[in-house]
Amino acid sequence: MNNGPVRKFNMAYLLAYIFVPLIISVLGTCAAFIFFPTGGTGAALLVMVPWIVSIAWWIGGGRFLYKRAKKRAEAELKGQGLNANQIFYSRGWSIFTDVGSGQVGLVSFWNPFKTFLIPASRIEKLWVDDGVGGVAIFKGSNRVSFMLQVDGTNVRIDTFISNQRFAPNSDHILTGISKADTWVEILQAAKSNSV
Amino acid sequence: MGLFRNIRSMFHDDWCSKCKSQMDVANKQLYALPTMRVGHYQEHDDPAYYKKNLVPVDKKAQIPTGMYACGIHVYRCPQCGHHAVKLTVFLPVRDQEKVEQLLYFEDGEMDDFIH
Repeated sequence: MNNGPVRKFNMAYLLAYIFVPLIISVLGTCAAFIFFPTGGTGAALLVMVPWIVSIAWWIGGGRFLYKRAKKRAEAELKGQGLNANQIFYSRGWSIFTDVGSGQVGLVSFWNPFKTFLIPASRIEKLWVDDGVGGVAIFKGSNRVSFMLQVDGTNVRIDTFISNQRFAPNSDHILTGISKADTWVEILQAAKSNSV
Repeated sequence: MGLFRNIRSMFHDDWCSKCKSQMDVANKQLYALPTMRVGHYQEHDDPAYYKKNLVPVDKKAQIPTGMYACGIHVYRCPQCGHHAVKLTVFLPVRDQEKVEQLLYFEDGEMDDFIH
């Protein structure tokens, strides 16, 4: 549990996430050239296995750790006596709110080993970003989020995200906006209850 | 003419299913549906569900953000006296509405609720 400044990234984790599998794969490939210069099964295994494991890690490793972090955070917050009755899981952040006591828990995808627990009064700014841009028939959005500024860090929690662009009045965007509006109200209520 | 009118009536929810005349709106009322929240919507066709859970409100602004709403229109045919009830379940989002479900009750299923 961390009551310090909210940080989106753990740089050591981010760099290790990208470069450790890369280094292991490159070392495996080099070892294959050194120890099996004529090729064969050993060379194939030394080249392929690290790369396959690395790619699997890049695809699913972060999600796996983030999923575990969310479960751990829930248990930790409960252990701290927090009644996290409002929870929202998004791709980049998860937020746990106890409206009654005005406490907010946060876990970041890129900082999964820390659970931040802050009083909602530390939220400096709260707003909804509907992501709508463009004009005429090109007007639309592919992302709706609610944003909070804590300790100078912008925390963006997506309520809708897509690789397609949708019209501002489409069901997806309206649902995203409604969720984001609801969360802004929840956090405002928590803020008003926070000491 | 009769066939043409029958086809047209298929595209008008306020036309009488018996005599194909345009019906009058006898009553309309807005309700909040506190059991349904954004992200957790489930379709219901049973009128008993709505009778149990709808809470009347005067205007949309009284419905909390993220809560579903339901508009009820009571239609009455001036020609044959047939009446129907239309339920529109929707999510109010700022000045817009995301319609989830349209339900018609023509056999008096909602009569004890609306009267």
